[in-house]
Amino acid sequence: MTGLVWLCRRETLRVSKLWTQTVLAPVVSSLLFILVFGLSLGDRIKTVGDTDYEVFIVPGLITMAMVQAAYANNASSIFQARFDRYVNDVLSAPMRAWQMTLGYTVGGLFRALSIGGLLLVLAVLLVGVPVERPFALAAAVVLGLVLFAALGLVVGIHAETWDHTTFIQNIVILPLAFVGGVFYSVDVLPAPWHELSHINPVFYLVNAVRFGFIGQSDVSIWLCLGVTLALAVPVYAWAQYLFTTGRKLKD
Amino acid sequence: MYRDHAPALELRGLTKRYDDGTLALEEFDLEIPAGAFFGLLGPNGAGKTTLISAVCNLIRVTAGEVLVFGEPADTMLARSWIGLAEQDINLDRFLTVRETLAYHGGYFGMGRAEAEQRAEEMIDVFGLAGKRDTRAPRLSGGQRRRLLLARALMHRPRLVILDEPTAGVDFELRTEMWTYIRRLHAEGTTILLTTHYLEEAEALCEEIALIRDGRLIARDSADGLRESFGVERLDQVYVKAMASAASTLLGRVRADRL
Repeated sequence: MTGLVWLCRRETLRVSKLWTQTVLAPVVSSLLFILVFGLSLGDRIKTVGDTDYEVFIVPGLITMAMVQAAYANNASSIFQARFDRYVNDVLSAPMRAWQMTLGYTVGGLFRALSIGGLLLVLAVLLVGVPVERPFALAAAVVLGLVLFAALGLVVGIHAETWDHTTFIQNIVILPLAFVGGVFYSVDVLPAPWHELSHINPVFYLVNAVRFGFIGQSDVSIWLCLGVTLALAVPVYAWAQYLFTTGRKLKD
Repeated sequence: MYRDHAPALELRGLTKRYDDGTLALEEFDLEIPAGAFFGLLGPNGAGKTTLISAVCNLIRVTAGEVLVFGEPADTMLARSWIGLAEQDINLDRFLTVRETLAYHGGYFGMGRAEAEQRAEEMIDVFGLAGKRDTRAPRLSGGQRRRLLLARALMHRPRLVILDEPTAGVDFELRTEMWTYIRRLHAEGTTILLTTHYLEEAEALCEEIALIRDGRLIARDSADGLRESFGVERLDQVYVKAMASAASTLLGRVRADRL
């Protein structure tokens, strides 16, 4: 287990050393969203359901910032390690494949939770967002972050260039987050956009986190957690498969 | 626990074919006794780095078996016995010299206090005290080479594999590294060295294996090789052995085409 502890430490140290890029920048970016969309548009869109608009958008913005951070951290960390070949220091060490997968995953979780924690504090101070269902919130955050941290590992291991890692972030994750109900309730969308929203996996995660914060969701919390779990398990298993077989890491 | 008197390294029928079809090693057999200083010589693309990568679990082998002191190379125990200094500078760009060593020790099972103490020892031994808190990209070429060697030795391995450790380093550093490697060998560590410098192999190694195109061509002491090839110098042995292997390979290719 010692190797696992050191790998976790290394991955979190990287986040800490680069804190202006890894934590501060996403926090400032999300804060601007809260200020611009929440406090300025909030005057025109008073409420969504029974919730003030500036409070309504906070869970989605925190989710968006956290999943992007979990993905980007792991995709860049493992890709850099492969590119510079210092991943060999870990691959040759007496560590089991599951320890390597977990160790690298922890970096993404640490970065995402740092961002999420800071945003939560700021959101409480600025717009007074509540935490109505802490256990549901914890479950949603853990499942969502494992999903996107593992996805970052899978992409970072398969990627041949930096562009491959950013492509998934910019073309897949970010658009899915934007149309996943971060800024609106999908109940207000006309057909077929309302129905199409239900095939977006980020929609379920945003709603699960929103349920944790304000106790309000467009669909059942159990469905939200179930969909996120059903995606997190195979993606994490895929990352584990890559470390177990050495595919793309030992080619 | 490891078997007493087991060879430091045993390769049995080791074969590696890369995804692009390149056959880097073919049915390769080799045994290196414990405590030996063993040299591996061959031209670029001969299969030296592939062989080392197979021993260190850095590639997926196609077939064959690798044993380290009698243990399969992919076991945790065998891995903990191997220290590798790779040919390319592959240092973690985010870590300082001290962290590079301590984290390596940690990956190989050392606790925090032990890893930090050992890292300080290695920093002193390799003359990196002034650069303790400098990150790898800010080190000079020679300092990076020293750090690579220090990292390989950090966890006190029984088998040290040095893949062209003196490639591109100046005479002064090369001599310094030779002195350290000799001392390490004198203390009982088995050394496997690949190099392009014949004088380096002759000065350091008790036994030398010549490989080409993934096959073992010859293996003996420097004196034994000179005697069997009927020449006076090791460079003449090398040229003769490689020419003979090339003609054998050409013969095989022609036979395959017929």
